[in-house]
Amino acid sequence: MIRPASEAELAEAVRAAHGPISVRGGGTRGPLPAGEALTTSGLTGITLHDPAALTLVARAGTPVEEIEAALAEANQRLAFEPMDHRGLLGTTGTPTIGGVVAANVSGPRRMQVGAARDHLLGLRFVDGEGTIVKNGGRVMKNVTGYDLARLVAGSRGALGVITEVALKVLPGTETCANLVARGLDDAAAVRAMSAALGTPFEVSGAAHDPHAEGGPRTVLRIEGFAPSVAYRCKALAERLAPHGDWEIETDREAVLAEWRGIRDVAPFHGEQGDVWRVSVRPSQAADLVARAGAKRAFYDWGGGLIWLLTAEGDDLRAKLGRYDGHATLLRATPETHAKLHTLQPEPLALQALTRGLRETFDPRGILAA
Amino acid sequence: MQMPSPDAKIMAKKAQVVQRLTEVLGARGVIHDPAETRAYECDALTAYRCPPLCVVLPATTEEVSAALRVCHEENVPVVPRGSGTSLAGGALPTADSVILGVSRMNRVLEIDTDDRIIRVQTGRTNLSVTGAVEELGFFYAPDPSSQLACAIAGNIAMNSGGAHCLKYGVTTNNLLGVTMVQMDGTVIEIGGAHMDAGGLDLLGVICGSEGQLGVVTEATLRILPKPEGALPVMMGYDSAEAAGACVADIIKAGVLPVAIEYMDRPCIRACEAFAKAGYPDCEALLIVEVEGSADEISYQLDTILKIARDHDPVEIRAAQDSDEAARIWLGRKSAFGAMGQINDYMCLDGTIPVSALPEVLKRIGELSDQYGLGVANVFHAGDGNMHPLILFDANKEGDLEKCEEMGADILRLCVEVGGCLTGEHGVGVEKRDLMSVQFAREDLEAQMKVKDVFDPKWLLNPAKVFPLDVSEGRRA
Amino acid sequence: MQTNFTPAQLRDPKTAEANAILRSCVHCGFCTATCPTYQVLGDELDSPRGRIYLIKDMLENERIPDDKTVTHLDRCLGCLACMTTCPSGVHYGHLIDQARGYIEKNYERPPMDRFLRWVLSRILPYPGRFRLALLAARIGKPFKGLMPDKRLRAMLEMAPAKLPPVSRNDDPQVFPAKGERRMRVGLSIGCAQRALDTDINDSTIRLLTRLGCEVVIPEGVGCCGALTEHMGKHDEARGTAAKLIRSMASIEGLDAVVINTSGCGTTMKDYGHMFAGHELEAEATRIGGLCRDVTEVVAELGLPKLVKAEPVRVAYHAACSLQHGQKLKAGPKALLKQVGFEVLEPADSHLCCGSAGTYNLMQPEISAELRNRKVETLEVLKPQLIAAGNIGCMMQIGRGTDIPVVHSVQLLDWATGGPQPSAISEQFA
Repeated sequence: MIRPASEAELAEAVRAAHGPISVRGGGTRGPLPAGEALTTSGLTGITLHDPAALTLVARAGTPVEEIEAALAEANQRLAFEPMDHRGLLGTTGTPTIGGVVAANVSGPRRMQVGAARDHLLGLRFVDGEGTIVKNGGRVMKNVTGYDLARLVAGSRGALGVITEVALKVLPGTETCANLVARGLDDAAAVRAMSAALGTPFEVSGAAHDPHAEGGPRTVLRIEGFAPSVAYRCKALAERLAPHGDWEIETDREAVLAEWRGIRDVAPFHGEQGDVWRVSVRPSQAADLVARAGAKRAFYDWGGGLIWLLTAEGDDLRAKLGRYDGHATLLRATPETHAKLHTLQPEPLALQALTRGLRETFDPRGILAA
Repeated sequence: MQMPSPDAKIMAKKAQVVQRLTEVLGARGVIHDPAETRAYECDALTAYRCPPLCVVLPATTEEVSAALRVCHEENVPVVPRGSGTSLAGGALPTADSVILGVSRMNRVLEIDTDDRIIRVQTGRTNLSVTGAVEELGFFYAPDPSSQLACAIAGNIAMNSGGAHCLKYGVTTNNLLGVTMVQMDGTVIEIGGAHMDAGGLDLLGVICGSEGQLGVVTEATLRILPKPEGALPVMMGYDSAEAAGACVADIIKAGVLPVAIEYMDRPCIRACEAFAKAGYPDCEALLIVEVEGSADEISYQLDTILKIARDHDPVEIRAAQDSDEAARIWLGRKSAFGAMGQINDYMCLDGTIPVSALPEVLKRIGELSDQYGLGVANVFHAGDGNMHPLILFDANKEGDLEKCEEMGADILRLCVEVGGCLTGEHGVGVEKRDLMSVQFAREDLEAQMKVKDVFDPKWLLNPAKVFPLDVSEGRRA
Repeated sequence: MQTNFTPAQLRDPKTAEANAILRSCVHCGFCTATCPTYQVLGDELDSPRGRIYLIKDMLENERIPDDKTVTHLDRCLGCLACMTTCPSGVHYGHLIDQARGYIEKNYERPPMDRFLRWVLSRILPYPGRFRLALLAARIGKPFKGLMPDKRLRAMLEMAPAKLPPVSRNDDPQVFPAKGERRMRVGLSIGCAQRALDTDINDSTIRLLTRLGCEVVIPEGVGCCGALTEHMGKHDEARGTAAKLIRSMASIEGLDAVVINTSGCGTTMKDYGHMFAGHELEAEATRIGGLCRDVTEVVAELGLPKLVKAEPVRVAYHAACSLQHGQKLKAGPKALLKQVGFEVLEPADSHLCCGSAGTYNLMQPEISAELRNRKVETLEVLKPQLIAAGNIGCMMQIGRGTDIPVVHSVQLLDWATGGPQPSAISEQFA
C-alpha cells in the first residue's frame, strides 16, 4: 500500500505508477477497485479553522471525527452530516474527509442544507498525470473560473486524488425534536413529508421506515434554539393534522440517536441482501418502491432518497424502469457490482462527456474507480 | 483589455452565415443590420464594446440547436446572452461572433410544490421565477441585485449569488437539472427533479462555466417555502472597522442571519436618493435580515442587537412594516444603478475571508488616495463578497485605464488575503487577465481541459475567462 | 455611460440635455424587465436600453434616421415604466421625445405613415372634427375589410358603437362650489375625451363642487399638446399648449389646474420643460406647477370615510401616465377604498394596457397583445367593475372585456351622492 506523507509525495507516486491504482481514504466505503492501493491517510490535519468566516480547511486523510470534534468546540458542525458507512457495509477503518467529498456523502439534512458538494469551498487534487491542481478557495462565494471542485466531488477518484478540502461550516443547534406519526402507508408518508417540507418551519430531516418496530414510523426533525423548536413543532403538528396524528418527542439524546440511525441506514444493518441507494423525485418514490419488490425499503430526504434491500444479484434497475432519478448499488458481491454496475448507466451523450473528462484528466487510465 | 482580432474569413462570409441562420430561425429571429447589432455591443459592463456579426433570438430549444449547428459548421464563435446584465462583460461579443440571446424563451414549464421544484426556460428573469410561485407560498432563493432583469440563463452561467445566499446558497446549490445544447447542436438533459448526480457532477461544472460549455435552455430549480416573516434591521456605525468587527462577532455567536449587507456613506446617499428608505447617514451601514415568526425574529434580534450595541452603533433601527422593509431592500439592490447618478464606475466583486474585512477596507481607502479615484463600497458582508465601485469619468481620457489598474490592485489584494477575484459576477473579460494571479498555469490548464471536452472547437464564448495567451492555441 | 458628442454639439441646449441623460445611464438593463414591448418582443432593440443606444448613436452622429431605428423607436409606448424602474434616474421621457422630434425633422416617412399621422394630429385634438370622424367611422366600419392598411382598420375598429351628445358642461362657464368655497380650479376638459365620454367631466364637476371647489371652464381651453408632442411634432404641440396655458392663466385666483385625463397630466405638469428657452417659459412653468390630477385635488379636499356592507369589487388599472409619468400609484386606490369600494390590483400592474395615446392606432398588433395580457390579469380578479384614470386606457380595456370600465372619478362621484355611472348596467344598492 502506498501511503504518501505529503501532497508532493502523492503526486510523485501517481506519476510513477504504471498500472491502475486503487485510491482510498479510510477504506470504509468498499468495494475498493482493483489496483495498487494508495491511501490518503498519511495526509492529515486541519490546516485552518476560521469560525468567524465559517470556514475549515483540512487535508484529505483527516478523520471526519477529528473535524467534527474541532468544530464542536466552536459550536459549529458539518451541516450535511455525512453518513458513516461502516455499519451498513460491515467495513472497518476511519472515515476521512477526503473520502466524504470524493463520494459526495451526505446525510438526512441534505434536502434542507445541501449535499457535501454544496458545502465544498475548494479543493486540491492530483490528476491522473500526477499534476497538482487547485480549484475554488476558502471563501464562501467564489465563481473564479470553472467549478472543478464540484466536478471532482462525487467523482469517486475518477478524475484525481483529492489532497485537501475547504468546507463551509455552520453553527451548531441548541435543541432538536422529532415529530412522529405512526402507521402511515408509504404514499401517505411521502405526502405528509412533502407537506411538511412545504411549510416555512424548516424541517431538517424527513424519513419514513415502513418496517419499523411497532409499525410504519414517519419522523420529522426540527432543530434550532429552544423557543423556536417548540413553536415550530406545535405549528407543524397543527399544519400536518390532515396527514395523521403527530407526537412530539423532545428527548435530545433519543432524537440524536434516531437521526444517526437514519443517516447510517441502521434498519438494514446486519440484514442479508444487496443494498441500493435510489435518488428520486419524491412524488414518484412510493410507486417506485412498489415496483421494486424489495425485501425492505426505507425513505429519507422526504422521499427523495430510497434505500432498498434486495435479494442478492437482483437487477433492481430493470424492475424500476423509467423514473426521474438514478440508482446506485452500494452493497453487493464484487460479481454483482461487475454485472449490474455500481453507478446508473447514463444516456449516450452524457457517457461521451464522462468518458472525455476521464480521458483528459487521466489519459493513462490508471485511476481505477 | 484586449479582445482577439476578428477572423477575416468569418467576416467575409457574413451574408452566408446570416442566410443560413435565417433559414433555420426565420427573419424575425436574426438581426444583422449594423444599425441594429450595435445595441448588442455590450452588456452592463460598458467600458468594452464591439458589435457582433449578427444576433439570433431563438424561441425554442430546437431553434437553439439548429442555430448552434449552423455556427458549428461554419466555425463561427457564439456568445450566449441572457438579459445582458453582466457586470463582467460575460456577453461581450467580438466582431466575428454571433450573439445568441435566450430572451424569447421565458416560459414556465412546470411547477410542483410537492417536489418543491419549478422548471423554466432560461430566458425567464430571476424575479419572475419567484413571481410564478409566490402565490403558492414559495420562492426561488438566489437573489442577485439585478434579479428584476437578469435571466436564469445568465445566473447559471455565472453561478450568481445575491444578498440572501448566506443562508440559502448560490445558484449551484439551487439548481437541480438543465437542458443544455452543446456547440454541435446536441441536446442533453442533466439532472432533473431529483437530488445529486448518479455519475460525474456535470451540472456542478456547467453552473458557472460562463457560457463556454453549452447553452442552457431549460432549468429545474429548487423552490423553498416562504418564511413566515422577515425583518431587516439597519445598524449604522461611524467606522468600517466597527461594522466589520460587528459582522464577525455576529457570525461567531452562532446566529446566522439570512443576510448581512454593508454600504458606505457614498452608497448610502445615492441609494437613499432613489429608494427613500430612511437609511441613516453614517460611515458604515449594516442591513441585517432575520427570518421566522414574530417571536423567532425577536429572539434572534435580541442576540444580534446585543452584539451590535457592543460596537458603539450610531443608530439601530428595524423596519416598521413590509413597505419600509421593501424600500430598504430596493435601495440596497439598486445600489449599482443609483451610483450611476453620481459617476461612471467599475464594479468589482472580489471575495475575502470575513475576518479580513477591516484590513481590506483600509487598504482600499489607501489605493483610492493613491490613484485619486473615489471608491464606494457596497457588499455582502456576511460572506465576504465585496463590491467596491471605483468611480471614474468615462469621458475623460485615461481615466478608464487608471480605474482598471486600481481595480486590478484591489483584486490582487483580495487574493493576497486568502480570497478570490470574483464571488458572484464571474470572470468574463473584466477579470480574465488577472486569472493568473489566483491560479497557477496547471490550475487553468485543468479548467481548459473541461472546455476541450465540451466544446472541442472552442467556439463558445472563447475569449472569456482564460487569459488570451493561456488559451492561445486552443481558440480557433 | 460614455458619450461622444463634440464640444460644438454640446453647445446646443437640446443636445446638452440629451448628453446629460445618456451620461446618467449605466446600461444596467433593469429597465428591460418592466418594458412592455420587451416583454412581447424579447429584443434588446425594443427595450428602453436598446432604444437609448439607438438614440445615442443617431444624435451623436447626427445621422439621418434609418428605417430600423425609426421602427424600434416608434414601437415605444412612452409608458415610462422604465423611469419608475431606473435606479440611475435616466429621464427617458425627455430623451425619447427629443428623438421623436429629431425623427420628425430628419426622416421621410412612407406616404401612408405620413398620411395617418397627419390625420391623427389634425383630428384627435379637435373634438368637433373627432366627433365627425367617429360618426364617419361608424358608417365605414362594415367596410373595414376593404382597407389597405391594418392601421386604418384599427382606426375604424376603434369607433365606439354609440357616441354621447355634446355636453353643455364643457362650454366656458363657472360652476360654483357647494357650500363654502375652499378652492378655485380650472378644469382641463380635454379633447378626444369630450367626444368619447362626456360623463367623466360631468362627474368631475359634480364631485369637485360637492367638495367645495369652484370649477372654471375657461374660454379657449382645449388640447394640451401631449398627443402631437409624443408624435415628435413639437411646434404643433407648443402651439396648442400655449393656447391652453394662456387660457388657464386668464383665471383669476387660480389654485390648481385639474386634469382627469392622466395622459395630458404628465405633459402639462412638464410644461416648464416643453417651453424651456421659450418666451412663455415663466408662465408655462407656473401653470405646469399648478397642474394636479383630479385624484390629487380630491385627496387634498378630503373625502368622507364610507363603509359598505357589500362593497363593490373594483379592479383598479393604474394608467401609466399616472403611475409612471406622475408617480401617482397609491393615491387613487386609497380614495376608492376610502369611499367603500373593495379595490383589487392585477398582477403586473406596472405594465401598459397598450393604449398609449395613438399607439393602439399606429401599432395595432403589439397594442392588441398588451391589451389581451392586461384584460386577462384584470378578469382573473373577477371584479364587478374596472376603474382607470385615463380615457385611453378605458377605451382600450373596454374593447377587450364585458366588464364595465369606468373612470375613478365617476366612482368617487357615485359613492358620494352622484348618479350611478351609465356604463354600469347592473343595479347596485
